[in-house]
Amino acid sequence: MSEPLGRVVATERRPNTPHEFHFWTALDSPVGIGTIVRVEGANPVNGQIPRVYGIVVEGFSYTDLQSPMHDVLGHDGSPASAGYSVTERAEIRLYSAAVLRQIPDEPLQPVPMGEVHLADENDVAVALRMDGYLREEANTGIPIGVYRAGATDSVIYLDADFLLGPEAAHLNISGMSGLATKTSAVEWLLASIFAHFPESKGSVAAVCFNVKGPDLCFLDQPGHLDDRDRELYDKMRVSGTPFEKVQYFAPYTAKGFSLNTLRSNEALLHNVTPLTWGLREVLKYAEVLLNRDDIDAKADALIDFISERVVGRVFEKDNYLSRDHTVESFGDLEDWFRDLLRGLEKGNAESWRTHHIATIRKVRNRLTNISTRCAGLVTDTGTVSDLPFGSFEDRMVYVVDVATLEEDAQDLIFARVVSKLREHLERRDLGVKHLIVFVDELNKYAPSDGQDTYVRKMLLDIAERGRYLGLVLFSAQQFRSQVHRRVVGNSGTSLFGRMDADELATPGYSVLTPATRTKLATLEKGQLMVRHPHFTQPIFVRFPRPAVMLGRDGVERYPQATESELDVAIYRSLRQLDSSITLPWVQKIVALYDEPEILRARDATRRAKPANVMAYFESQFRKIIPSEPAIAAAAATREVTRAVRSLPMDDPYGF
Amino acid sequence: MAELPGASAVELGQNEGDPRSRNDQPPVLAAPSVIEGETLRAIRVAPDAAARPTSGFYGFLDGAQSVHVVNHCGGVPIVWATVSAAVRVRENRRLIAWRNRAPAVERRFYVPLRYVEDMGPTLRDDPRVVDTGRPDSSGAFPSRHPAALLERAMQKVQQDRETLEQRLAEAWIETEKSPLYVDGSITGSDAVASSRLAVGVIKSHNTLYAEGDAFRVVVGLEAGERSSAFRVAPRSRCPVASWYVRVRGAAGRDALFGLVRVEAAFTDDLAVRADEISRWVIAEGSPLALPDGRWDKMSYGIRDTEEFLRAIS
Repeated sequence: MSEPLGRVVATERRPNTPHEFHFWTALDSPVGIGTIVRVEGANPVNGQIPRVYGIVVEGFSYTDLQSPMHDVLGHDGSPASAGYSVTERAEIRLYSAAVLRQIPDEPLQPVPMGEVHLADENDVAVALRMDGYLREEANTGIPIGVYRAGATDSVIYLDADFLLGPEAAHLNISGMSGLATKTSAVEWLLASIFAHFPESKGSVAAVCFNVKGPDLCFLDQPGHLDDRDRELYDKMRVSGTPFEKVQYFAPYTAKGFSLNTLRSNEALLHNVTPLTWGLREVLKYAEVLLNRDDIDAKADALIDFISERVVGRVFEKDNYLSRDHTVESFGDLEDWFRDLLRGLEKGNAESWRTHHIATIRKVRNRLTNISTRCAGLVTDTGTVSDLPFGSFEDRMVYVVDVATLEEDAQDLIFARVVSKLREHLERRDLGVKHLIVFVDELNKYAPSDGQDTYVRKMLLDIAERGRYLGLVLFSAQQFRSQVHRRVVGNSGTSLFGRMDADELATPGYSVLTPATRTKLATLEKGQLMVRHPHFTQPIFVRFPRPAVMLGRDGVERYPQATESELDVAIYRSLRQLDSSITLPWVQKIVALYDEPEILRARDATRRAKPANVMAYFESQFRKIIPSEPAIAAAAATREVTRAVRSLPMDDPYGF
Repeated sequence: MAELPGASAVELGQNEGDPRSRNDQPPVLAAPSVIEGETLRAIRVAPDAAARPTSGFYGFLDGAQSVHVVNHCGGVPIVWATVSAAVRVRENRRLIAWRNRAPAVERRFYVPLRYVEDMGPTLRDDPRVVDTGRPDSSGAFPSRHPAALLERAMQKVQQDRETLEQRLAEAWIETEKSPLYVDGSITGSDAVASSRLAVGVIKSHNTLYAEGDAFRVVVGLEAGERSSAFRVAPRSRCPVASWYVRVRGAAGRDALFGLVRVEAAFTDDLAVRADEISRWVIAEGSPLALPDGRWDKMSYGIRDTEEFLRAIS
């Protein structure tokens, strides 16, 4: 048994209780706030020597000085002369510890007087009740970090049943921007989950929304680790390598030529998939983009009518429609509206199928506007490129990059992706059994105040019901106090990096002692305070840097591709499928057709991923016999002008 | 107390058991027998400014006693007393217990057996019972007056405490090579009084060696000054060299503020040694021994030892 480092003390003024005790130590003891200790009782209770585990939550130091004035007098008011005193005053280090666990559990008594020892690795496991889920036959431990005190270096495990369900679920992380390393902590924890999530519990994947900067854009690229990081990776048996399976999704820019992501460097485009939706995908989530004024009951009824009776089927002509319509895209919808309104105006009618003409005009305005507001994501043509719902892979990270999008587009993406995930998980056909959704900047998406939004309702729904489906929310924010209480309250596990002092002054942190709050305000990078259902008190741990490239390093090493001309954008895009494709070949085709037609062909080719990319791409166009001089002229002026589309030789209107 | 028929418990009076409050001897002036020069004079040994000299003391010896009259048996006080002594040593400027000899703590009944006829044999033969009814060196028995019996018990308790202190001081000079700061006189033991390793520091001045012209010199000592050395030879005790040191300035205070008397063995280099020891004693004035009421004269090492004894006894 180790040497005792302290002794339990109690006075009438400061007695010990079943949940708190006090002890003193030598001045040079390695005890500090967050240190886990073990108390060995002296007298048996029911034939068993009590053993109490606690974590230091407060520290005191004082001397036998009764008044500061005595010290001033003793040194004649000169602080410099204090150093000449031949004797140091008697001094005490007194600590208060919160009880983590008592053995035996019953009867629950005040902590007895006894020797205090530094907890060793086994003690830490018992103190935090990790022994219950680290059994060899049923190990559900997920390493979150290493607890360090003195010579003790102990891995702290979270219980997968309480992190990813079904017992409890969800994780929330708070901390100051740039200092709390929130994103790093989540990247590390995902790697740890992928390495340790028990096979018996099924498959697991993650969908991460990259909401700011290049944070999550280089998860498949190796980052810089030092020896201390590698040591931590080895100790926690997690490979210090980047994620093997990562798939990126990003919408196009408004022009539609290149992807709207910081991961647009040609060297990294192999696993970046465009994210584009058409009318059918968006209409169901129109509520996300339309405010309350837009969707009164009348407008809502018309949108429902369009959604159910117009889109995706043949809508036959009537008194006001001049022809049959098949609405598959925003372009088709616009044609339908235009035809209908023209008919109504012509017939001088005020309503159509109980819908007033003003309502029809309003809905037309709002709906057709969506493709403009979310240009790059929502296409007029109806082209769809989506996450692989139904074929999600185990241990795969799907990153949806919305960092550079407008707020409307971000909300739409978030709402639709999460809804689809939920639908598939309910039907058990997503492809994986457990799915982690990581959302940063939760202050913005689920604020504690402000009007109720579709996105906030969805986040609340995941937080409250997701664990039954295997849909787990990992969320992060700077100010926990500004996030909806039901979202953070339903997070079984909470992590805290370095915290802002103002935030710590809010009521939510009043359960922590002043010393613990001070420690939180001064945490180093790579340190976290962990709250987990099995831990009766928060624990401080250290975690390694994630083994992935930092966002800022990534953008330096792989600069974002500049917005290019159409031909170069098509060339870059198709080369991901066939590296033998050349720019002149692309230019030759681009010179012949309209921009929408070319983009549609590109999208179709990327979606199909054919064996013969060039043949497939060419087959997407109507047959045109190009005029050779026109091609040559177009190629020659490519640098300075837009492509001049050549005409068929037999075009009667050609000049 | 079943061994004492008719005994009745009593409540302690305020300050009963505190030897400092029981000194009935009137303060006296005595003529100093100067051994350093012709007459008593002031000698500066340290600057009076804030910069304090260093100290050569390694250990601090002090004793404590607590006395309680726990019963009266037929008008005879039954005293229960605890006497203790300890040495604290200074290592790296911090005080810790001396490892060579454990602190001594003894608890006893002080009973004048000749006046307690009904005392049972078990208690009478208990080694913890000290008979305070025996005749003194002149063969006289103590009076049956309860106050006289209590005074006799107090004297015996004080003797026992001094015995513990002397034992520790003797152990120190046998085993250590560095000087020991003794709280009080060192004249009780030949070995201690003649050792260069023991220095006694007396804070009370019931007997002030300052009769005649010496009085002005002693009360006029300024901070950082000492008096000439003189010889002190109490009856039935060992002679030592002694001198006064003003540890703190007494401006605006009473005449004895910050004044201590130092006792040390006679040596050939007495003047030099007196200077050196005086500087050490002055240095021990920091940090202050507050909140002890004798802080002006007490060294912090002695206060620490007193606190230690309070904790263990």
